[in-house]
Amino acid sequence: METESIPQAARERIDRIATADLMVGVLADHGGAASAMVRQALEKLPPVPRTVIIQANGIGGADGKDGGKAADAAEASEDQAVFVVPWTLLEPDKSIAPVENMANAYQTVLAAGDKLGVQAACVIGSDLQTVTPQWIARLVQPVLQLGFDLVTPCYAHGRFEGLLNNCLISPLARALYGARIQNPMGPDLGISRRLFQRIIAPEQGAKLAANRTHALASMAPTAVCSGFKICQAHVGVRLYPPIDWTNLSSLLVQVLGPVFGDLERSAACWQKPRESVPIPSFGERMALSEDKGLVDVGRMLELFRLGARDLLEVWGLVLPPTTLFELKKISSLPQEQFRLPDELWAHTVYDFALGHRLRTINRDHLLRALTPLYLGWVASYALEMQNATVRTAEQRFERLCLAFETAKPYLVSRWRWPDRFNP
Amino acid sequence: MNMWDRAQQALMESMSRLLSQVASLLPGIVALIVALLISALVAWILAVVLRRSLIGIRFDEHASRWGFSSLAEWSPSKSPTLLVTRVVSWLIILFGFLMGIASFDATLTSQLARSMFAYLPNVLGAVVVLLAGNIIARFIARSVLIGSVNMNLQYARLLAVGVKWLVNVLAVAMALEQLRIGGGIVNLAFGILFGGIVFALALAVGLGSKELVSRSLEREAAKNAGNGVEEPFRHL
Repeated sequence: METESIPQAARERIDRIATADLMVGVLADHGGAASAMVRQALEKLPPVPRTVIIQANGIGGADGKDGGKAADAAEASEDQAVFVVPWTLLEPDKSIAPVENMANAYQTVLAAGDKLGVQAACVIGSDLQTVTPQWIARLVQPVLQLGFDLVTPCYAHGRFEGLLNNCLISPLARALYGARIQNPMGPDLGISRRLFQRIIAPEQGAKLAANRTHALASMAPTAVCSGFKICQAHVGVRLYPPIDWTNLSSLLVQVLGPVFGDLERSAACWQKPRESVPIPSFGERMALSEDKGLVDVGRMLELFRLGARDLLEVWGLVLPPTTLFELKKISSLPQEQFRLPDELWAHTVYDFALGHRLRTINRDHLLRALTPLYLGWVASYALEMQNATVRTAEQRFERLCLAFETAKPYLVSRWRWPDRFNP
Repeated sequence: MNMWDRAQQALMESMSRLLSQVASLLPGIVALIVALLISALVAWILAVVLRRSLIGIRFDEHASRWGFSSLAEWSPSKSPTLLVTRVVSWLIILFGFLMGIASFDATLTSQLARSMFAYLPNVLGAVVVLLAGNIIARFIARSVLIGSVNMNLQYARLLAVGVKWLVNVLAVAMALEQLRIGGGIVNLAFGILFGGIVFALALAVGLGSKELVSRSLEREAAKNAGNGVEEPFRHL
């Protein structure tokens, strides 16, 4: 267990609390506002479980140097059932990649939960601006009261929000693991004790370190492959951070590296399912206001065309000639006719996953080279959906998921016989 | 004994000396030929065995997968297997040749062998420098290419090729320095070439491509400004 990563002050405080039923970790720093929200959420879960809230307090540093004072303040104000551990979970060190930082925070929160012997843990990774008490309650309730092991979130989002998840992570997870999970990587999750123990178990931890994967990417695959009970909760609107064009390829590396790495680890598991099944959902879907209007895809199209002109040599190391030919053909289409078919996108993602496994080229290069292709698909989707409703966009993503499922035998064949099978 | 007899005797003696020297060389020549023939035979047999073994373990594919894809370009018929077998064959023939030379004169061979072995580290060093330089050049060039494309730079390929050749030129200069070929001339030539490339690029950017570069930078600035409209896309 990674208890060494828990700051001294927080560790002492956890030792004093000794045991709890529930732990809620809030990654974002909102100066202690999270505890009030969690208390409100707990009122919806009678009887109120003995709960530990880990939150950034705005006083203590990550090293826990000032955490003692904050802990004392928290101790003085708490009631019998709810305890607050002031602890800045996300490292302020800018050199650590944000996604990796979040995964490390998950790992240490779960280690703290294990130390406390909690029955359920809830980690809130989203910005607190849109998080409500209802949100937290819906993630915790199925674990504490209905015996589920993993509760993943369903967000109400616009047509152009959560694109990386909707066009790659979710369809990939659904096709491979056979469970229709809308947000397999959270980042807001409810987790049972037996699942997080599996995630932070030493032998598993050793493998994770070796494969450079992280808790977020492994959570849903581990739950599915180990036969744990999974459900999803409609939590509401999530605030998505704005696009950072200069770091988009780094984002792909940080997110897809662990996802593709996990495919290698769980290859024996994901090759079995033939089709996907829905998982139980809780809460009501929230309707989002329609934000119709034209979107500018010029920049994304330009990048895709530039990639098709200059990166063909790199793509050729992982993609078969037929795919390269199709991409080249699509890149010459005028904007109004530009479409990147779902089947082609699914095959491309699978080929990149295989290239990642075989280390055909440096993995960082491989994932960065996917950026123009990803933006090509996003541009194609945006052109198709610019006058569509949110409901139509959801149906569009459903079609994409089916394309990933249909193309799965291609990945299985290439995975098993990478040298022999190359259409 | 008249003078003619003496001349005839001297001629006979010199001829017999020459013949005896030639006769003494003959076993050496025969030994050299035999050594060369045997080494060629051994080299051929080993090459066949090695080639079959390497083909059996798919050495070409593995070499490419391990990141030595540049090895194929340096190889005959683009096959690293062929390169390895030929290197091994020629090393065996060289060994046979040295053995054959030793049959003439042991001191000559030892001197030759000593100087060859003394130079061998330089050759190996140069080969390592060239290989490492080539691999590093390709790696950096690919990083620059992918990074530039993702930054939407229209001259991404030009940048990548420029970086690749700069690193390659540097590697060749270092290898020649290692081989002690050219000495100061190589340093001077490298300095002129490297400086010349940088100067040419500076001139090209400053004069020839001034318009192109300024247009490109203006376009980038306009893109980053986003025309004051926030893009609706959210990725994660």
